[in-house]
Amino acid sequence: MKDLSSNRLLKIFLYLALFAILAPMVIIIFWAFANQWPWPNLLPTSYSLRGVKEIFAPYGKVFPILTSSITLSLTVALLSAIIAIMTARAIVFYDFWGKGILDFISMAPNLVPSTVFAMGIHVVFIKMSLANTPLGVIIVHLIYTLPYTINIMRNLTESIGKDMEQQAYVLGASPWKSFLYISFPLLLPGIIASITMAYILSFSQYFVTLLIGGGKVMTFSMIMVPFIAKGDRTLGSAYALVFVISTLLVFTIINTIMKRFQKRKEKYNWN
Amino acid sequence: MELEIRNISVSLSNKEILKSINLTVENGEFISLLGASGCGKSTLLKTIAGIIKQREGSILLGGKVLDRLPPHKRRTVIVFQDFRLFPHMTLAENISFPLKMMGVNKSECRKRAIELLKKVKLEGYEDRFVDEISGGQKQRVALARALAADPVVLLLDEPFSSLDVNLRKDMRELVLDLQKEYKITTILVTHDQEEALAMSDRIAFMYNGEILQYDKPENIFNNPVNTIVADYFSEGTYISGEIRDRRFISDFFNISANKDNGRYKCLIRPAALKVSKANDSDFEVVAKVYQGDNYLLKINKKDSNLKLESILNEPLDIEEGDKVTIELDKDKLIFIPE
Repeated sequence: MKDLSSNRLLKIFLYLALFAILAPMVIIIFWAFANQWPWPNLLPTSYSLRGVKEIFAPYGKVFPILTSSITLSLTVALLSAIIAIMTARAIVFYDFWGKGILDFISMAPNLVPSTVFAMGIHVVFIKMSLANTPLGVIIVHLIYTLPYTINIMRNLTESIGKDMEQQAYVLGASPWKSFLYISFPLLLPGIIASITMAYILSFSQYFVTLLIGGGKVMTFSMIMVPFIAKGDRTLGSAYALVFVISTLLVFTIINTIMKRFQKRKEKYNWN
Repeated sequence: MELEIRNISVSLSNKEILKSINLTVENGEFISLLGASGCGKSTLLKTIAGIIKQREGSILLGGKVLDRLPPHKRRTVIVFQDFRLFPHMTLAENISFPLKMMGVNKSECRKRAIELLKKVKLEGYEDRFVDEISGGQKQRVALARALAADPVVLLLDEPFSSLDVNLRKDMRELVLDLQKEYKITTILVTHDQEEALAMSDRIAFMYNGEILQYDKPENIFNNPVNTIVADYFSEGTYISGEIRDRRFISDFFNISANKDNGRYKCLIRPAALKVSKANDSDFEVVAKVYQGDNYLLKINKKDSNLKLESILNEPLDIEEGDKVTIELDKDKLIFIPE
């Protein structure tokens, strides 16, 4: 009986969570096609295709910018995951001088307000002539995403440990093959989570991109945010819709590619 | 192949774990490293496999120095206590993993894996996953996988300690059968003296990072070099005394002993003591403990703190509080030089 009631609670919670995600989505969809939606009307009083026209306009640069923005964020996500895997291994498996400092520094971008941090970095990047370049934006996005990805990978690396790799060594696998055949598949869930996390952080980054990119490196957020800030709800919602759909598409693709590595595990995933 | 360990010392985080270990294992021999936990036996195993680096000394395999060879080129395979099967692979994939590393092609890998599964009596299990089999079955798979790696030295790190007692016996037999069939030089790490006595050609008893005695099971049981080794196999009562002209002389008894002159401790294990009921005696039974196959009698001597133990095979009518006479079996007494 207790099981059933806790199950019901869980269900209520799930529906609430679903509602919290879906309700804004529905409103965005309406707004994207709404012309006027005065309070207290339940539905828009008039509709228009202004948002759709703006996005698909032949003179517009929405899709080229979307493509380059996705490429940039994917680059950041992949690099962030790779660096996180290596950093996590270093922190978990090895003892070295300055380990505690590295551990702390990897968290620092989360402790300092991002605007303050970005201003400091901007000065340095100008000196290194990294400002206003895609590379500069990629690096600054990496700095923001790494605390998250490192933490995800660190917990997983800790729980998997070195035992399995050791077993692989004594069975004749070189360190690289041990990682590739044993640790990598076991780390895969964490790698997918890291890539997803880093992608969404990078893709939705506005202020830092604006500052470091100097308006020369255009990302999707940079064309979307001004409309939202201006209060143009129709266009803001239309862009937001493209944002959500493109992100979902990218996630689906990442998941499909990654799951191919562990196809068989899925088949027997009944425990 | 013959394995020789020369003066191996190992320190881990500034603590000395192994102190100048010397050990030779003949080709095809089965030896045990016996000792309490923390004595360094598992460390020695990992050092042989190359997972832990020694501070000093060398490991030789068939006369060749292994020191600079990385673990994956040594062909010294460890079967760990927790089996360490790869959870994302089927049993066949687990077993053929070492073959895959050698570059054996896929169909040959599967064929060999199925053969090996048959050897460990797990026919038809090739497409199962690790979380679908029991502990004993995991042990068999781990063993099959180790054999697939074609080891020159097989290293078993407490492989039976996580199994049920009944299963343990079967697994010991299986390991011995396979070891004889493949004639692999094998080192078993264990803290179970019965296991070591029953399985090995020779036992190396380890204590505090040193090998105290390395000998055949009968010798190590009957002629332990000191009280630490003696106590590990079977505890008993020590009586201090002296041997002079082939006779052991002590406060409690004198008995003939085939040893050189000097001060000795005589160890009386329960099996060396026979009791019979008597009305008038200094010895009194203070406890009778049922042990399944037999009874353990605890005996105290009146007016002294001498405490003895004896094994009673038949449920004779000796009860707690009874007076008994005791008789020592001369051949089962153990004399340890002081």
